[in-house]
Amino acid sequence: MLLRNVFTKTVRDLRWPTFWISLGMAGMTGYFAVLFPTYSKIFNISDMLKKMGDAGKLFGVTGDATTLAGFLHIELFSMILPALMVVLVAGMASGFTAGEESRGTIDILLSYPISRRRMVLEKVLAVTLAAFAAAIAVWVFGLLGAAASATALPADNLAAALLMLVLLGLAFGAVALAIAAATGNRAASIGAAVGLLVVMYLVDAVSNIVDGLRTVQPLSLFHYYMGGDPLRNGVSLADAGVLSAVAIVFLAVALIAFERRDLAA
Amino acid sequence: MTAAIETKELTKWYGHHARGIIDVDLVVEAGQIFGFLGPNGAGKSTTIRLLLDLIRPTSGSARVLGLDVRRDRLEIDRRTSYVPGELSLYSDLTGRQLLTYLGNLQGKVDADYREKLIERLELDPAKKIKSMSRGNKQKVGLVAAFMIRPDLLILDEPTAGLDPFVQLEFEHLCEEVRTDGRTVFISSHQLPEVEHLCDRVGIIREGRLLAVEAISTLKERALRKLEIDFGGPVKAEAFANLPGVRDLSINGQVLSCTVMGSVDALVKAASRFEVVNLRSMETSLEEIFLAYYGTGDDAAKEAGHAAA
Ligand SMILES: Nc1ncnc2c1ncn2[C@@H]1O[C@H](COP(=O)(O)OP(=O)(O)OP(=O)(O)O)[C@@H](O)[C@H]1O
Ligand SMILES: [Mg+2]
Repeated sequence: MLLRNVFTKTVRDLRWPTFWISLGMAGMTGYFAVLFPTYSKIFNISDMLKKMGDAGKLFGVTGDATTLAGFLHIELFSMILPALMVVLVAGMASGFTAGEESRGTIDILLSYPISRRRMVLEKVLAVTLAAFAAAIAVWVFGLLGAAASATALPADNLAAALLMLVLLGLAFGAVALAIAAATGNRAASIGAAVGLLVVMYLVDAVSNIVDGLRTVQPLSLFHYYMGGDPLRNGVSLADAGVLSAVAIVFLAVALIAFERRDLAA
Repeated sequence: MTAAIETKELTKWYGHHARGIIDVDLVVEAGQIFGFLGPNGAGKSTTIRLLLDLIRPTSGSARVLGLDVRRDRLEIDRRTSYVPGELSLYSDLTGRQLLTYLGNLQGKVDADYREKLIERLELDPAKKIKSMSRGNKQKVGLVAAFMIRPDLLILDEPTAGLDPFVQLEFEHLCEEVRTDGRTVFISSHQLPEVEHLCDRVGIIREGRLLAVEAISTLKERALRKLEIDFGGPVKAEAFANLPGVRDLSINGQVLSCTVMGSVDALVKAASRFEVVNLRSMETSLEEIFLAYYGTGDDAAKEAGHAAA
């Protein structure tokens, strides 16, 4: 029964948006995996990449497109999947405290024996589950698509890239949660998370072109997300550690800020 | 016996200039129905939300059921229930789903009692909250509050939007809580709405608690205007120095006066003559309150000076 506690209630609230976004992400991945052989026959992708040069890099077009893994990196993991994942996780996280406050349900909820901290943690657990569910859907569809087109796609490296994707989503989600918990303002929280996403994406992309910017590249979370090329190399523990640390630090900030605040009526 | 609610110099400023409440010292004894009265913006909801630890005091302290509102929060939450003034519920749930969820958050709920409450308040629990009228939503909130049989119910203007039948049933429920020795704390704008229900009332205005009185005390102080028509002329001396009688005047065969408290002495004195008619006009408790604590304007000015 999904009305047992705050965690299951949140799972219930998130189930449809999670389903649709997961379906979108997984559908695209399966589609590209199925059509990859056809694509690479029609277009000589490597040639196209060389021609695009630096302009291509700005849109995440880097690396080797002769394998399905490389192709997925370029087409999906560089921009579309992280955007959808961040929208999923940060969009939900921004509503956890601020949504209950603006709808006015927080008064009732917290009058039951549930601490503010527990309320936030149970909801965070639910959104973490949602992020993993989306990743698993992508993994399954990707491998099915690859099997259908008889193309090689290493299951472990795809899983590694998806883990990094989840961690990126959780890191941005934690930032959104911290802002929402500290201000009670959902719009500000979503705006800041999406703004940060765009800025960090550009910092990472531009740093790949402009050598002078390499020193600021580590400031962008994208650097840790795909910088180690997990689709080829598997998980970089250091990169995963950085993303996890960011998520945990901002979650802690959110808990502390929410604990201290006057809640909106 | 520990008080159900006890605040000490409880003060809340929203920012530097917006007054919430100032130095509220309030004691609500267990086993009572307590009315918390005040006009719009007086600080009723502010006081209540401080008791629930939803907002934090600028200074002062509060205890509920003898427990610290901050430190012992979960224990208080287990033993109290709350219906907010601006009640918002998860609108995508049906009434029954919501009651199930809230019951689960609480832990154990007596399902039979819950069903009885639903019946008594004539709630249709199959409807989605979002399609319910204001009064029906309020009923859901009340069922949720009563179903856990809390030691203390904190109800912020609970009767707003209820029809007279439901209001009456609500009053019965409150009385049953009192019979159990448990406590009800109700805020309201109007004394007449709660005077027959409450044992004691506190009045708050401009953020300050002006007075706390037992309803019975107020009733003792009730002033009655009395007029008696006699069958013949009466002597003023026969009515001199009667306890509680004031402003006595005799005009031919008509006596008029004001009586505070019991009319016994006056009636006994009048019985020596032929009484044709007797008219009594009771002033409302509201008027008594206002008489004792000044009109709104005066009190506002006082509070303003004190704050300055
Ligand atoms: N979040 C807030 N920020 C600033 N001022 C506030 C806030 N909440 C309440 N106030 C102010 O505090 C005072 C007390 O408000 P409160 O809501 O406690 O009154 P109330 O007695 O419940 O009134 P009502 O009968 O209208 O519900 C009011 O002057 C109000 O404007
Ligand atoms: Mg109010």
